[in-house]
Amino acid sequence: MKINAAFVEKVLTRFIRGELGRAGFKKGILGLSGGLDSAVCAALAARALGPGQVLGLIMPYGTGFRDDVRDAERLAAALGIRRRTIDITPQVDAYFARHPTRSRVLRGNKMARERMSILYDVSAREKALILGTGNKTELLLGYGTIHGDMACAINPLGDLYKTQIRELAAHLGLPEDIRKKRPTAGLWPGQTDEGELGLSYDELDGILFALVDERKSRREVVSAGFKAAAVNKVLAMIKASEFKRKMPPVAKVSARTVGHDFLYPYDWGK
Amino acid sequence: MKVALAQIAPRLGDVPRNLALHREWIRAARKEGADLIVFPELSLTGYSLRDLTGDVALDPARSPVFKELAGLSRDITTVVGFVEEKRDDPGLFYNAAACFAEGRLLHIHRKVYLPTGGMFEERRFFAAGRNFKPFRAPFGRAGLMICRDFLQLGASYLQLVGGAEVLLVISAAPGRGLGTEQGFATSRMWELMGEALSFFTTSFVIYCNRVGVEDGMTFAGGSFIFSPRGELLDRADDLEPGLLVQTIDLTAVRDVRRKWGFHREERPEVILHALERTIRSHED
Repeated sequence: MKINAAFVEKVLTRFIRGELGRAGFKKGILGLSGGLDSAVCAALAARALGPGQVLGLIMPYGTGFRDDVRDAERLAAALGIRRRTIDITPQVDAYFARHPTRSRVLRGNKMARERMSILYDVSAREKALILGTGNKTELLLGYGTIHGDMACAINPLGDLYKTQIRELAAHLGLPEDIRKKRPTAGLWPGQTDEGELGLSYDELDGILFALVDERKSRREVVSAGFKAAAVNKVLAMIKASEFKRKMPPVAKVSARTVGHDFLYPYDWGK
Repeated sequence: MKVALAQIAPRLGDVPRNLALHREWIRAARKEGADLIVFPELSLTGYSLRDLTGDVALDPARSPVFKELAGLSRDITTVVGFVEEKRDDPGLFYNAAACFAEGRLLHIHRKVYLPTGGMFEERRFFAAGRNFKPFRAPFGRAGLMICRDFLQLGASYLQLVGGAEVLLVISAAPGRGLGTEQGFATSRMWELMGEALSFFTTSFVIYCNRVGVEDGMTFAGGSFIFSPRGELLDRADDLEPGLLVQTIDLTAVRDVRRKWGFHREERPEVILHALERTIRSHED
């Protein structure tokens, strides 16, 4: 699971530069939450494109995340990237005033999609490409909002587990208060990923690495020392979230169909 | 003899642009005094072609691209990767390698082992070649292989038995697997194979891999040359485009083969009969 962070940095900065350049973009844009993943992505983008070509959008809701906003601002300043703050409170409150709910998850998903909508709007205005910040742990567990924080043009971090991103963050010299912060999806104040998932990232990543990278069976992972209940939970989450990792199925009726046998590379003509 | 490995990043699906890239690098290699320049697998087209395969296919007998590459090879032997489709074999697309020398096309090898499974899907788009046949190049007897061909034990065996002195391997190998060491795990695997197979075959192994990113895959680079004694003579950087130029002494093949009689003592007829028996018993 341990990585050579200097080499990973090389691969990912080339990926960012290559994908943007081919698509005819010079600028990258991403949401800055004040957390670890967006900080690592911003630092990689700054190294790949030059700090002046990276725009970090800080999009807080309400007043419950002041520390995160402050951390995001400090990070942007430390990296020398551009930043802009857009408060999403008015538009989220306007919606829920008409369609109230007590569900924190529904409210959190709506916020994630408001941020996505703003990111896409600003990216078009700025002629910038959206860099995703979802990691491998989140992608495999489906721990993200579809068409919300999972939406992006390219994803540099999607093949690195959370614990590997911590290693990368240390190599990139990111501030300690961001590296040591307890990961949170920020759906509501005080939420933590590990609290909500009921497992630590060390456990989650250990189980996922064995199941996915090493292709171990459920039984092998349990006999390697992980709790059966934890392994079952991880397997159930992977299966239940496959739809978040795929384009929606197209009903095939013709001879050649998008998503079935109309097969072109993503980088076609770039 | 001076060998140049062109560790380039072709543009996906854009033959004219890639031809221009070849022109540029051939000029650079000639300036270095190279006698041979080797480009990576599918260097004229890019790798992840899928349904573009048929759009970028070339017929060696008719293509102006081939005419130009042949012309450029007057004083430098040139190996390129392309998609082959002959006019009298329409719809048969091969992942192929062409060797040009002295102003003409010398040899074509069609990839025999098409990786299909996991991240690879070559058999879905390409027809498979059926032969490994060493050929006479200006510098000696050469055997061409494309990427996975080299990882299949039988391919290098056939090159040895066919008398190859230099194994030319062109590749588009994506890097996979992270660890605490610098580079991808797969790059170390390729080098291990280069070391072992150069020793087994008492031949030079000249391996040119590409760089660049396609659809999220990073091609690892790390092109290399092994001597017939299994010594690493030179290695290009991981991930970076670059021209690796190295002088090799072909008399080393004879020197090594005087000492190690693998080629002299090899008995292909024993292998052939044993294979026939094995295949028959599988069918029973």
